[in-house]
Amino acid sequence: MTRNDLLWVEKYRPKKIEDIVGNEEAKASFVEWLKSKRRTKKAILLYGPPGVGKTALVNAAAKEFGFTVIEMNASDTRSEKAINEVAKPATAYIALDSFSVGSKGNLLFLDEVDGIAGNEDRGGVGAIVKIVEQSRVPVIMAANDPDLDKLRPLKKVSMLVRFQQVRIPRIIVLLQKICLLERVKAEFEALERIAQNSRGDVRSAINDLQSLSEEDHVLTLQDTVMLSSRNKDVTMDETLRAFFSAKSIEEVSTLLRYSSVDYDDFLLSVSDNLPKRYTDPDELATAYNFVSQADVFRGRIGTENWHLLKYFFNSLAEAAAVAPESYKPFQFISPPIRIITLFWTKGKRTTLNNICAKIGAQCHVSIEIAKHSFIPYVKSILQKQKGGPIASWLKLTPEEVDFLIKMGRF
Amino acid sequence: MAVTEEALMWVEKYRPKTLDEVVDLRDIVDSLKAFLKNPKTMPHLMLAGIPGTGKTTIALCIARELYGQNWRNFTLELNASDERGIDTVRERIKDFSRYSRAGFGNIPFALVILDESDMMTGPAQTALRRIMETSSRTSRFILICNQSSKIIEPIQSRCAIFRFSRLDRQAMKEHLQNIAKKENVKLLPEAAERIVDFSEGDLRHAMNALQTASAYKEGVVDEKTVSMVIGEASPMQVQKMIRKALYGDFMEARKTMYDIMGSFGFSGSEIIRQVQRELFKMSDLTPEQKAELSNIIGEYDYRLTQGANSDIQLSALLAQFAKFGKSIEESYDAQ
Amino acid sequence: MVAVLSKSAFKLPRVEKEKFVLLLRLGLDYNREQGVFSIKSYNNIEKLMDTIGSVLGTEVVFMQNCTRCGRDFPCSECKYNDLCATKNLPFSCVCSQCLRGRKQFEAYLERF
Repeated sequence: MTRNDLLWVEKYRPKKIEDIVGNEEAKASFVEWLKSKRRTKKAILLYGPPGVGKTALVNAAAKEFGFTVIEMNASDTRSEKAINEVAKPATAYIALDSFSVGSKGNLLFLDEVDGIAGNEDRGGVGAIVKIVEQSRVPVIMAANDPDLDKLRPLKKVSMLVRFQQVRIPRIIVLLQKICLLERVKAEFEALERIAQNSRGDVRSAINDLQSLSEEDHVLTLQDTVMLSSRNKDVTMDETLRAFFSAKSIEEVSTLLRYSSVDYDDFLLSVSDNLPKRYTDPDELATAYNFVSQADVFRGRIGTENWHLLKYFFNSLAEAAAVAPESYKPFQFISPPIRIITLFWTKGKRTTLNNICAKIGAQCHVSIEIAKHSFIPYVKSILQKQKGGPIASWLKLTPEEVDFLIKMGRF
Repeated sequence: MAVTEEALMWVEKYRPKTLDEVVDLRDIVDSLKAFLKNPKTMPHLMLAGIPGTGKTTIALCIARELYGQNWRNFTLELNASDERGIDTVRERIKDFSRYSRAGFGNIPFALVILDESDMMTGPAQTALRRIMETSSRTSRFILICNQSSKIIEPIQSRCAIFRFSRLDRQAMKEHLQNIAKKENVKLLPEAAERIVDFSEGDLRHAMNALQTASAYKEGVVDEKTVSMVIGEASPMQVQKMIRKALYGDFMEARKTMYDIMGSFGFSGSEIIRQVQRELFKMSDLTPEQKAELSNIIGEYDYRLTQGANSDIQLSALLAQFAKFGKSIEESYDAQ
Repeated sequence: MVAVLSKSAFKLPRVEKEKFVLLLRLGLDYNREQGVFSIKSYNNIEKLMDTIGSVLGTEVVFMQNCTRCGRDFPCSECKYNDLCATKNLPFSCVCSQCLRGRKQFEAYLERF
């Protein structure tokens, strides 16, 4: 998988504040707070999705301004006792040599405060609030989800700084830079898709890039098909919504290229929902014609002809753009309609075909004719007279009789 | 050989064993008998017509007329839709003609009955033609098909063609009543009517429906039971699906499609062929409309072989039907 | 209607004193000679944008500044606009020319 031992997320961890991509305003607010001599709030809570640079910012800023970071994160126990043991001494004094170049003293960094658990970290939140009130050094906290009830006391004593997903173009640029430094050749579209798939998470984007890169191989859009989609459950509905409300073919094909949904699931979902989107028969027929074409391309792609993917996207895109003016939001059909046919696994089809072949041998018909001109009747007769003489004349095994009797009931 | 067991599906039990027993197809039987007077000069035969009209029965009768009790030893029954490709067909014919060369009695050839031969592709038919030529000294072919037009010219020209038309209602009703009598079942006239309506000339469906209905109720088959039996059979379901689509209720049509796939285990192409078949039975469409719909079916039948999800292709087909239905409606409104 | 503003200079209609003070307190700077506002602090940026919006009576978005070429451009120019989870903030991004253009990319790389 990787070309050397070092993880790229480690290797390219931001060393300076300006190396952190995106969230410029949040960075500025944080730096302003950290540099200020008289802080209106002694603590700051950085919140936002994972992998956007919160921890990196704290470490880079501390380095730039000469703070020593005392860190406690979710892997440490953060009971009242543990916090008091570590954090209290760290926050009790300002460095005596604060005028020297070396150090401005400590800063306390409590990462992942939303991870403070109820029982294990008993009293943890209360202890932090106390520390903040008494602290003579900056207290920095980071969280993914600031809306948790248990964090309310922390929010009261902190300045809140919101971090957002890093934008797709910014991630692409970063990936391009890493590719250059790692001598990886990559198609623009491949990086684009990794960036989109990451949902603003720079860390996961870099990890994905590293896992997909191979020596002497150009990374292509097709390679990214293997990417496991992140936050799969949310993206299907989101993608469907964006798909059906799109206003142009270009918009849809962009969406599809960067969406992280599974192509096959998406194709089926589009088919499921198409009649809800297009109620006019002419529009529906036109749209279905494109979905049918997309399915044909999907068939031709199979497991290896991924270069045809763009035609698949184009056909789907056309299906979305049949009548942009008639779009009204609607409730999506889920779970997939297809589920009712899932009864027919390959094994069950083989069983049915074997039964049909036996009927065919006795009644001089093909498997297919047996299936539609005999099976429904034989099934009813067997339901009436289980294991009757007909079953033995048709040479059906007890298992086959049982299969027929139960067939089609879900 | 094992002792012949008594057939229990009525279609087999009451299948005529000799040409004389075939009552409804006088013209065909008479011409065939003329051929059989001098079997050595019998040509290849092609039996064409819609399903359930007696083609297989006639072919099996010919085998019996030629070889008597041991007809199975000299007859190779093949079904084009069951065999995997023309090569398998070629191998089986080759093996068979080599194996059975020893003694046909006074008949100098073995018999190959190839059912559903119109299911073969063009190239496969060309190969079949070659096989027919190379084995002509040892084998005679009876090709059975629904539409002779789907068989390539060179094969047609080598065969004597017999066309089987739809059985007429009266003959069918008599048939069903005869069987009911032999089975000690009272078949009520309305019930017989209902079966005949439903089966549209396909005796196989009719007899199976009759047998199934009689399993539901001891001694009597009434209309209610018949309706129940055939309502669950796939032809009615397929027709329901087509009608829903043509009348613009796409959602219901698609639901019916999934029901059909779910309860009968049909593949996409099996459903599409049934759509084709049921469409032609529908009396509320003009021949021109049927032809047009048939073209649409052809397109999606092809896509089905290329695509990844047959239910999507079938849904797309139904959407085309709904659009077509709307255009018919509009043309009526305009008049 | 959406108003697209540049963070370094934009005009607002005359507002009453209290509102003016509020705007400055939320982080705006006012240049009296040119009569234009600019953004000085981002501490209350979301509230600030709401307030500017209420002054203009419309939704407010700011121009994006390209981190490569320095050009200002609106989000509507970006093909990822519909996929973007952060429509307004930050005000820095990469414009489409710099993202795709080979020349810009090479020029950018030289800076490393």
